[in-house]
Amino acid sequence: MRLFRDAFRFQAALTLRSPDTVHVLVTAPLYTVVFMAISRHAHRTDLAAYAVLAPVLMSLWSLALLTAGDLISRERSRGTLEAMVATPASFPVVVLARITAVTTISTVSFVESWLVAWWPFGVVVRVEHPLTLLWCLVLSALAMAGTASAMSALYVLLPTARTLQNSFTYPFYLLGGILVPVSYLPEWLRPLSRLVFLSWSSDLLRSALSPAPVVDELPRLAAIAVLGAAGCAVGGLMITRILRRVRSTGTLART
Amino acid sequence: MRYLVRTSTVLRYSAANAWADFRASYTWWSWTFGWLGRMLAQVTFFAFVGIMLGDQAQLRYLVVGNAVMTCVVETMSVVASSSSEGRIGTLPLLSAAPVRLAWVFLGRSVQWPVSGSLTALVSLLALAPAFGVHWSPTQVPALVLLVPLTALSTYAVGLFLSAFVLTASGARNLLSNSAYLVMMAICGVQVPVDFWPSWVRSIASTLPLTHGLAAIRSVGDRAPVADVLGQAGLALACGVGWLVMAVLAFSLLEQHSRRRDAFDFGG
Amino acid sequence: MTDAVETRSLRRTFPARAGRGGGEIVALGGVDLSIPSGSVRGLLGPNGAGKTTLCKILSTVLLPSSGTASVLGHDVRHETLAVKRSIGVVFGGDRGLYGRLTPRQNLQLWGALYDLHGRALSRRVDELLERVGLSGRARDRVDGFSRGMKQRLHLARGLISDPRVLILDEPTSGMDPVAVRDFRGLIGELTAEGRTLLLTTHDMAEAEAVCDEVTLIDNGVLLATDTPARLAARLSTLERVEADGVADDVLAGLSALSGVSKAHRETGGRVVVHTTTPAATSEVLALLVSAGVTALRTVRPSLEEVYLHVIGDRGMLVSP
Repeated sequence: MRLFRDAFRFQAALTLRSPDTVHVLVTAPLYTVVFMAISRHAHRTDLAAYAVLAPVLMSLWSLALLTAGDLISRERSRGTLEAMVATPASFPVVVLARITAVTTISTVSFVESWLVAWWPFGVVVRVEHPLTLLWCLVLSALAMAGTASAMSALYVLLPTARTLQNSFTYPFYLLGGILVPVSYLPEWLRPLSRLVFLSWSSDLLRSALSPAPVVDELPRLAAIAVLGAAGCAVGGLMITRILRRVRSTGTLART
Repeated sequence: MRYLVRTSTVLRYSAANAWADFRASYTWWSWTFGWLGRMLAQVTFFAFVGIMLGDQAQLRYLVVGNAVMTCVVETMSVVASSSSEGRIGTLPLLSAAPVRLAWVFLGRSVQWPVSGSLTALVSLLALAPAFGVHWSPTQVPALVLLVPLTALSTYAVGLFLSAFVLTASGARNLLSNSAYLVMMAICGVQVPVDFWPSWVRSIASTLPLTHGLAAIRSVGDRAPVADVLGQAGLALACGVGWLVMAVLAFSLLEQHSRRRDAFDFGG
Repeated sequence: MTDAVETRSLRRTFPARAGRGGGEIVALGGVDLSIPSGSVRGLLGPNGAGKTTLCKILSTVLLPSSGTASVLGHDVRHETLAVKRSIGVVFGGDRGLYGRLTPRQNLQLWGALYDLHGRALSRRVDELLERVGLSGRARDRVDGFSRGMKQRLHLARGLISDPRVLILDEPTSGMDPVAVRDFRGLIGELTAEGRTLLLTTHDMAEAEAVCDEVTLIDNGVLLATDTPARLAARLSTLERVEADGVADDVLAGLSALSGVSKAHRETGGRVVVHTTTPAATSEVLALLVSAGVTALRTVRPSLEEVYLHVIGDRGMLVSP
């Protein structure tokens, strides 16, 4: 736990200074403006909550993926990955902690997004179920970290995957129902989207902002947790495999 | 005349450099499934917003707007690729050469508007029909002309912006993405330009995308040819205006760097 | 003989960065430099001495704070275009080339920037590729080139406009010995063609091997300019006697002589005696001969020793 805390702190300090973070914190409000404009123009004030939530999930997803893409491969190019294997610290825990720091920071965009809806659009998005919102954001940040750690391992094992890093955004925004709920997607896509934790997060976040009581809150939170844990497990397994390769070959210098 | 020959030679070899960069970053496979796939997903994402709104006209508006938007997204990569000159250390050598920096950079990133036009045309002609936006064979040639016009005139905007991050490459992605998101918001991509207050409208009217997209929508609405040509002319005029600004910005940058020692020598 | 490069009271300062108590850093403090046409001038000094600042000003990449600098009679501040057309800039290291292009494409691009086009351009590119020995690799990407090959391409790039003046900033840094030898051969050819070369380096052997004259620079100030041999002769009071088969008591006697700054035995057993006056050298020789030592010689200081003597033995320190 202490290791997790230290790695978390280290990455938080790193992330706050990284241009990628600034990037996400600048673009999130711009996305809110775009989405708010669409809903306002269509006279659909009921969609304001959607417009506020979507950029938050987009920041969460894109920043986590960016960090994940960089994390292991940067350690590798610096040659510090080999050194890290030699330390007694559990490397998967370090990776997970560092990505969690990033995802935690990216939830700040919720505040930004909310403020943009308030000004200039004059819409006060009410948080009807604050506890649901809080739990959902925390669990989503953790699930995101789990998913991203799997991604970061994938990038190392399959370097070509990194060239496709850009492509891991919009298809998942669509499947994750982050702006348009999954119920609007074609029937055949829905089961697939249920495997993406984002689809559960986005639905539950929207429920948290809607006056109607939240149904099945616990099972839905559990779905996020389970999918996040699955990602985490896959990521952990893959990272362990990578480390075993480092130990046996002494290097990862393979591109 | 001599100046024209000279400048076109610079543009040609700079463009060869652009092409080599493009060949190095994409294979046909990664372009098709990585880049094109991602952009088509973006258009689809906004198309589903139209479906959620439940209105055919809205859906059509969003599909056309976001399909054209794809060429802008890619064109703004000029900001990032221009700043790569700083990383590879060619800036001081370019600055020591007897040539206007702006012409070098104009050729240097031309791969993006070309590839962007291709992406936008695939979005308009292959993806849009899936959402009920169809084109007649007579409309297609107009699109094939107007999309590259939009991309190239927007390229001038990107070129202007890239002068500001040439020596501050940390801000390159931030600047290019913010710029395209602002255009996405105000240039009539998602909502008509009239939606915005007058000061925003006047900014939008200086951006080539506003007029290029309006011309493409006019083609789709079978508006009179004069309307289409008028909007296309405005897009072209804005593009030329931004190009002039870009040339000025690069000159200022060079003067600034000579005073402040912003271009690092080799080593 | 006219001067190809001339600077008068050339000064360049930079504002000090925060935390250094304001004020300014003087990179060049009133430099007067004249390089005769057709000569090779070495600019020798430690990192941060002002070598690169001077090169930047001469290549119009940086403006002087005050004073003047001209290349072939063209003022760098006001006749920028004429200066740009008469100089070529080459710097060492990996940077400054387009790695994804072939050497031919690199040279074509730079040739276009220097006003060449059409047949004249292709002819020039072919000539240069031939000259630097890259014709065989003209179609390969520069990315995969060795340091030496990249450096030869750099030189070809600097020569694309057939400049009368060439500025070479640390051109051999990071090269292997064979590449360095080839490179020096090329420099010899360039001088034979009557070009003027300004070469910055901190490699004494290089300066000694290729330069007609060497200017020592430190802290933005020129300390001395002369031929490598005369620079050494200027300090002829500094001499060194080397001898083999010297007994320990003789060595002790040598150390005791006045005018001997240092006397020590090297790992191979050879004794090296540093003297500070010609008289002391005679005394040392007399004492050695009287002790029956016959294997001995006197050695003039190398440029390196002069450099260390003038600039000080600061090792790798970078001046502030």
